[in-house]
Amino acid sequence: MRRLSDRWLAYAMVLPVVAAVLAFVVGPTYDVFSLSFTRFVMGQERGFGTLVNFRALFADPLFTLVLVNTAIWILGGTLFCVLLGLGVGAYLARDGRMPTALRAIILLPWILPDVVTAMAWKWMLHGQVGIIGQTIQAAGLSDQPISLLGDPDLVMWVLVAVVVWRKMPLVALILCAAIRSVPQEHFEAARLDGANGWEQFRYIVLPHIAFSLTAVSVISMIWITAEFTLPWVMTGGGPANASQILSTYIYQQSFQFFNWGVGSAMSVINLVMLLGIVSLYLYVVRRSWRSGASA
Amino acid sequence: MHTSINRRHLMGGAAALAATTALPQGAQAASGRLNVWKFGGTPREVEFWPKQDAAFSASQPAVRLNYSYFNGQIRRQKILAGFQTRQLADVVIAFGQDIPEFAGFGMIQPLEGIAGNRIAGWKDRLVPEVLASGMHEGALYGLPTYVDMASFLAIDLTAMREAGFTRPPATWSELRQYAKAMTKPNRPGIAIPATTAPVDINIFEAIAYANGARIFDEETKKVMLNEKGMVDALQLYADLIADGSTPPGTAMTGTNFRDTATLFAQGRCAMWMGMSWLNTPWGTPDTLNWTGTPFPRPDRVTGSKPAVAALMDPTAILMVSARTTNADAAVEYLNFWSQNQQLALWGDAPEFSRIPGGKIAWASEGLAKRWPGWVESYRAGTLFQGAEPMPRFIGVSVVEAALGTAMQQVVLGQRSVIDALNAANAAAQQQIDILRG
Repeated sequence: MRRLSDRWLAYAMVLPVVAAVLAFVVGPTYDVFSLSFTRFVMGQERGFGTLVNFRALFADPLFTLVLVNTAIWILGGTLFCVLLGLGVGAYLARDGRMPTALRAIILLPWILPDVVTAMAWKWMLHGQVGIIGQTIQAAGLSDQPISLLGDPDLVMWVLVAVVVWRKMPLVALILCAAIRSVPQEHFEAARLDGANGWEQFRYIVLPHIAFSLTAVSVISMIWITAEFTLPWVMTGGGPANASQILSTYIYQQSFQFFNWGVGSAMSVINLVMLLGIVSLYLYVVRRSWRSGASA
Repeated sequence: MHTSINRRHLMGGAAALAATTALPQGAQAASGRLNVWKFGGTPREVEFWPKQDAAFSASQPAVRLNYSYFNGQIRRQKILAGFQTRQLADVVIAFGQDIPEFAGFGMIQPLEGIAGNRIAGWKDRLVPEVLASGMHEGALYGLPTYVDMASFLAIDLTAMREAGFTRPPATWSELRQYAKAMTKPNRPGIAIPATTAPVDINIFEAIAYANGARIFDEETKKVMLNEKGMVDALQLYADLIADGSTPPGTAMTGTNFRDTATLFAQGRCAMWMGMSWLNTPWGTPDTLNWTGTPFPRPDRVTGSKPAVAALMDPTAILMVSARTTNADAAVEYLNFWSQNQQLALWGDAPEFSRIPGGKIAWASEGLAKRWPGWVESYRAGTLFQGAEPMPRFIGVSVVEAALGTAMQQVVLGQRSVIDALNAANAAAQQQIDILRG
C-alpha cells in the first residue's frame, strides 16, 4: 500500500516538469513541424501536407551560403570554445596567485547582457570610429582604419571570435574544476615513471575529464546554435548577407517577411542538423560518455 | 491626514482639465481596459506621448489605459507576435508602410466602420495629404499625427564655403563635385548610410524614386529593382565611392542613418543624407554651421515612371486591432490624438523634426521661425506637391531587404550595380511569389 502511494507521489512530483516540457518544448516543436508542411499565402493558411516551403528553401540561392555560414558558426565556435577553454582551464587549475585571481574574474564576459556585449563589440570593431581598427592603423599595419565587421571575408570569423570570448570562460571553469578533481597520486605516480607534462595531460588528465569534455562540447554546440542576439545586433546578417546564419535567417523570414512556412522549414532543418551532429559526436565519444556516466 | 500636491500632479491635473474641456462635443464615454503599443519616435516625442496619455486617462476615467513604448525597428516582429498569440494591443502606433501587410493579414481594421462619426472632425483638423497617408485601398486604416519625408541632405556650410561653393548642391553631378571638393584626410565629403536598416533603404528609395524608379509594380506584380531609374540611382552611390568622397565601403555597411548623423555632428564627414528628421539635434554642437536641404535631383530623369518629389510616411499612425474587444475606447483614444492640443507641435516643448499633421501646427510661429521654407511651401500649397507614400504593398520588406543587399554589394565593390540589382530582383520576385501564392 505504502509502495503504491510512493509511486503516485513520485508521479505527482515529476508532473509539473513533464507538463512544462510538453507545453514549452513538445508543443512548439509540433507546431513548427506542422507549419513547415503548411502553405501560407498572405499570412493565411492554405493547406497542410505540402513540401512547398522546403522546395522554396532549396531553390533560394542564399540558403547555401546560410548553411556554410552556420557550419562556420557552430563548428568553428564550438571547436575554438572547447580548445581554448581546455587550455585556459588547464592553466586555471594550477595553484598560484594569478590562476586564483583569474578564476575569480574570468566569468565577466559571461555575466554581461548579450545586447551590451554585442553593441560594445560592434563599436570597437566599427570601420571609422572603432578602437580596434584605429589601433591597427596606429601600429602601422594598415593605411586606414580596418572594418572587421564590414569585410565579407572576415565577418563570420570575427563573430566566431566574439562568441568564443563570451562563452569560453564558463567552459574553462567547468574544465578547470574537472582537472582539479584528478587525484594528485596519479600525477605523482606518472612523474615517478618519468612522464613529462604533455604525457601527464594526454594520459591522465584527458581520460579523467573526458565526460566533462563531452558534456561541455555538446552544451557549447547547443549554446552557439541557439545564439541569436550577438550576430543579429552586431551585423544583422550583413554585410550583403555575409554573416547570415540559420538563426538570423529564420528570424528574417518569419518576422520581417512574414514567411512563416519557410521560417519553420528552416527551423526543422536546423533541429535535424543539430540532432545529427550531437548524435554523431556522442557516438564517437561513447566510451568516455559511458565510463563517465557510470563513474 | 497628510495631503500634498507636487508640480507633476499640478501639471497633470491642469493638462487633464484642458483635455477634458477640449473634448469634442458629443464625445462618448468609453470604459474598460485599453492597451496601446507605440513604436519609435524622437526622444522628445517619447516623453511627450505618455504625458498626454495622462490627460486622456483623466478625461476618460472609466478607461484603464495601458501604454507601452517599443523601439521602432522591432515593430513588425512585436505586432506579428502579438497577433499570433492573440495578445495584440487594441491600438498600435506604428508606420504607414506597414498598413497593406497588416490589413492583408487581418491584423487591423478600417476605421470607417468603428469611427464613422469622428472622421469628419479628423478631416477638419488634419492636413489632407497627411490624413490621406492613412488610406489603403479606399479605406482609412490609421490616424497619422505627422509624416517623415525623404530624402534630405545635411551640409556643413563652413566646409562648403572652404571648398569654394556658395549654395548647396542641386543635382547629382553637383553632389559628386561638392563631395569630392569637400573631402579632406580623415573627413570624407559625404557619409552614406548603407546598413540593411529599413530607414537606410528608405533614404535610397527616395533618391531612386526621384529618378523615376519604382521597386514594385502592383498591376503586373513584378519587382522592378533592375530598371534603369534604379540602376542609375545606385550608380550615384558607386560613383561617390569611386571618387574617394566617402568613408571606406566596409565602414559604411556598418554605419546606419543615426551613425552618419553622429559622424556629421563630430565633424567626421561634411555631408550626410537622411529624412526630414535630419533637423533633429543629433548631438550636433551649436558651433557647427550647417543646413538641411532637399537631396539633389538627377541631372536627367532616366526611370520609366514619373519622378517623385519626395516619399513620405506617417511614422506615428494610430491603428486599431481587428481583434480589439474595446473598439469604443480605441476610437476615443484616436479621437483624443486628433485634437489640436495633441497636434500642436508637442505643446510647450516644440518638436521641429517631423512634418506636422495638424493644421494648427502650421500656424505656429515657432515652426515658421525655425523652418520658414516648409511653412512657406505649405501656405503656397506646394509642400506635398509631387510627393508619394513610401512604398507599401504586401511583401515590401522582402523587396527592400533584397535592395539593401544589392546596395551593400555595390558599396563593398563586390558586384557591379547591374549585377547586384539583377540578382536582387530575381531573389525578391521569388520571395514575393511565395508570399502571395
